[in-house]
Amino acid sequence: MNQRIRRLAVALMVLFAILFVQLNVIQVGLKTTLDDDQRNTRQSVRDFNEPRGDILTADGLVVATSERRDDDSGHPWQRVYPEGELFADVTGYFTFAYGATQVERVANDVLAGRTPQQQIQGIASLFDGADTTGSVELTLDSRIQQAARSALGDREGSVVVVDVQTGAVRAMWSTPSYDPNYVATHDDRAAGDVLEFLNDVPGNPLLANAYQERYMPGSTFKVVTTAAALDAGVVTLDSTFAEESEFVPPQTNDPIQNYNQKICGGDLTEVFRRSCNTPFARIALDLGPERMVEASRRFGIGEKIPFDLPRAAASSFGDVDYFEQNLPLLAIGGFGQGNTQMVPLHLALIAASVANKGAMMRPYVIDATFDHDGRLMKRTSPSVWKQTMTPATAVVMSGLMQEVVRSGTASCCLKLANGVEAAAKTGTAQLNGPGEPERSHAWIIGFAPASAPRYAFAVMLKGTTAEISAGTGGTLAGPVAKKVLDVALTR
Amino acid sequence: MARLGGHHHHGGRERSHVGLTVATTTHAQRRRSSELRLVVLAAVITGAGYTLAALGKNSAMPPRILPFLGVVLLLLVSAHIAIRWFARGADSTLLPVAALLNGLGYVMIARLSERLAGLQTTWTFIGIGVFIGVLVVVERINDLSRFKWTFFFTGAGLLLLPLVPGLGFSSGGARIWVNLGPINFQPGEFAKLALALFFAAYLAERGSLISNSTRRVGPFNVPETRDLLPLLAAWAFSVLVMVGQRDLGSSLLFFTLFVVLVWVATERTSYLVIGSGMFAVACVAAYHAFDHVQTRVAIWLDPWSRYTGKGYQVAQSMFALGSGGTAGTGLGLGDPTRIPEAKNDFIFAAIGEELGLFGATAVLIAFVLMIGAGLRTALRTQRPFEKLLATGLTTILGVQAFIIIGGVIRVVPLTGITLPFVSYGGSSLVANYALLALLIRISDTSARRLGEVPDQPTLSERWTARRVARAEKKVGGPA
Repeated sequence: MNQRIRRLAVALMVLFAILFVQLNVIQVGLKTTLDDDQRNTRQSVRDFNEPRGDILTADGLVVATSERRDDDSGHPWQRVYPEGELFADVTGYFTFAYGATQVERVANDVLAGRTPQQQIQGIASLFDGADTTGSVELTLDSRIQQAARSALGDREGSVVVVDVQTGAVRAMWSTPSYDPNYVATHDDRAAGDVLEFLNDVPGNPLLANAYQERYMPGSTFKVVTTAAALDAGVVTLDSTFAEESEFVPPQTNDPIQNYNQKICGGDLTEVFRRSCNTPFARIALDLGPERMVEASRRFGIGEKIPFDLPRAAASSFGDVDYFEQNLPLLAIGGFGQGNTQMVPLHLALIAASVANKGAMMRPYVIDATFDHDGRLMKRTSPSVWKQTMTPATAVVMSGLMQEVVRSGTASCCLKLANGVEAAAKTGTAQLNGPGEPERSHAWIIGFAPASAPRYAFAVMLKGTTAEISAGTGGTLAGPVAKKVLDVALTR
Repeated sequence: MARLGGHHHHGGRERSHVGLTVATTTHAQRRRSSELRLVVLAAVITGAGYTLAALGKNSAMPPRILPFLGVVLLLLVSAHIAIRWFARGADSTLLPVAALLNGLGYVMIARLSERLAGLQTTWTFIGIGVFIGVLVVVERINDLSRFKWTFFFTGAGLLLLPLVPGLGFSSGGARIWVNLGPINFQPGEFAKLALALFFAAYLAERGSLISNSTRRVGPFNVPETRDLLPLLAAWAFSVLVMVGQRDLGSSLLFFTLFVVLVWVATERTSYLVIGSGMFAVACVAAYHAFDHVQTRVAIWLDPWSRYTGKGYQVAQSMFALGSGGTAGTGLGLGDPTRIPEAKNDFIFAAIGEELGLFGATAVLIAFVLMIGAGLRTALRTQRPFEKLLATGLTTILGVQAFIIIGGVIRVVPLTGITLPFVSYGGSSLVANYALLALLIRISDTSARRLGEVPDQPTLSERWTARRVARAEKKVGGPA
């Protein structure tokens, strides 16, 4: 029997060795996977009971911080957003029951002091009790952001300002917005009620329409069509277009009309500055479905914007097969009507690429992260997302866009302070069908100063009111862009 | 006295080999003093853990830490003294390791729920009481083999008890509970012990008959029906009852125990093969016959897709273990209340969370040490019954720990069963202390037989001897 008992002993040892191996697999091997599982609330519970680092703007304004609260909620730290709604789309909120969004979510490890670097420093803090939380510095400038809010007022829409050379977002404001302080309350039920309420509000304040929603771009899309045609050699600055008020594309009898049925024609500079529609319908058809769709891909349309904030939307244009069957839609797509949908941030990036020799940078809002002692941990290095056009085409496009401000659709409203010149393209996206009441988004995109570009911008006013629908991109969005750029360029 | 005379070490030896006796006395002495040191260490670890858990949870010293430590010491030292008096040759690691596991489990339970901690204290008192009681009552382990059928019927009766209407009830899907006035208990925990005793006794007696049978059926040697049938009937009955009660863990444990004992007793590998084959067939059959078995297997393979349903428990257990990592969150600093049944079946996950890989491995090592000590006891004794009993009891401890730990960490499908000495639960704790006392008794008996301890008559033997002597004096005096 002894031999069997010894074998039994070996067998049992093997079983326990298996347990030991599996324990290592779970507690060491799978640790990160398990901790990162979104269903795992352990980490957020722990984070919730610990201090949390600040989020600051580039000019040093604290936009999210943790305050000690000795209330009876059992959670000693309260997350506070001193600027209220102003940075809600960027910071997001940090809650116990409903998780975290935006920077609060993507930079959670830094803010909670849980990156490996902070953890190593944290070993020392086991003894002195110092916290290891880190802080996040945003690319946003609070003064430009303020200007964007006051310029837009209570009209629905968004303002985006990006640095043309880096893709750093200097301002990103959307209305309607919300105050994250109401969501970050320790009262889970109240927070849930607030979120539910915000979900039902028209305009969806919880979605940042600057980068999480897309809209019909109208004539601002002519920047894409024109650059594609210049690159393909389909048009040059010398091309001329017939004076006409309408044009009937193939496969249909419905004519395409110019804005207000005006007669419109001339060379490229002329039709671009006056924003005629028929020339760009013809250009889109001349390029054809294949080259047009290929060009849209070069602009990153159809891809999710590679933003450092979660759940960025993707712009859309259409695919080759679809346009082959629907050439009229390709024609109106050439000037941003039909099924073309653009994210406001994306249009700002496209304008920036014109100013940056065709190089479109990846947008970002997190400039740098710092440890508890203020030492730099990581700074975002700018990188190119797409080469949208050749540098030569970019120069031509810049000229066309400057003419829009000098003598075109934006001439009314984009004369900047101190005589600074801007380059722009306006858009008035027609949303209503024939016979329906007028409904249109008002757009302007561009960059300034035109000679040595620093900032690119996109301003969009949503066509939710009769007042906005009655105006144009130049008259409505232009003044907003001017106020924001004046603050950005003179500070 | 006749039984004593049959031994080759009896009281008379003390005088003839004084030198040897002194040497062996120090041998036992050494075991007992090392046991005392280890027991005190286990008490200190328990006290420290209790303090740390309170500090971690409430940032304050536990209110009655000194009385607490006093009670722990009192309990453990009484058990130790009982061994000194009634089993002084016994192995010195069994009690301290059990005490450590019990202490660790208590710290965890107290950290999870104050109310259960109070109950667990009561159960620990009763457990130690039963431990001492078994040591006192069971003086000669071999005496137990005579009662094998009593054990079988006791075990069978206990198993059937929860099925009695008005007495038994279901909890957590298994009908294994009995309500007796103020207390609920699981008779199955005690049935396991009784049935292990039965199998050990039966196989000690008939094991060689079964294995050396010359009856041939075709190419096979087949044991006589009268030898094999009662065994198979007893086993099949028990397993069927446990399956019927949906007590998968116990069925699995019992199946393994049976196959192991038959294999060790008959020394025939073919029984192991047949047993394993039957096991496989039983598993497949159970899988097809029972929905709850299919669910368990599905959860084992992928708890994540059933996260919001039955997989929640195992998924939470994984989260707990992951958040513990290597060194653990620290006692009182984790979040083990999120695991359903953390106090019970899932206590290992709670330990893994707060004490990390290190703490969880310590628990594994504790069980390995117990298994080692148990099987060493089985190896050292010469008598088949004692050998088989020690093997069986150790198998119960080891396999039970494997089944539940393996279920919690997804090595095997989860089957509800307690982690011996660690989980909350009165029946389990008391039954396991009785089991420990039996192992210690066997260990002591073999030490006496090996001459490591002088084999003095037991209390009742001395009592009988005195009565006989007195009677002889009375009868012989006047003559």
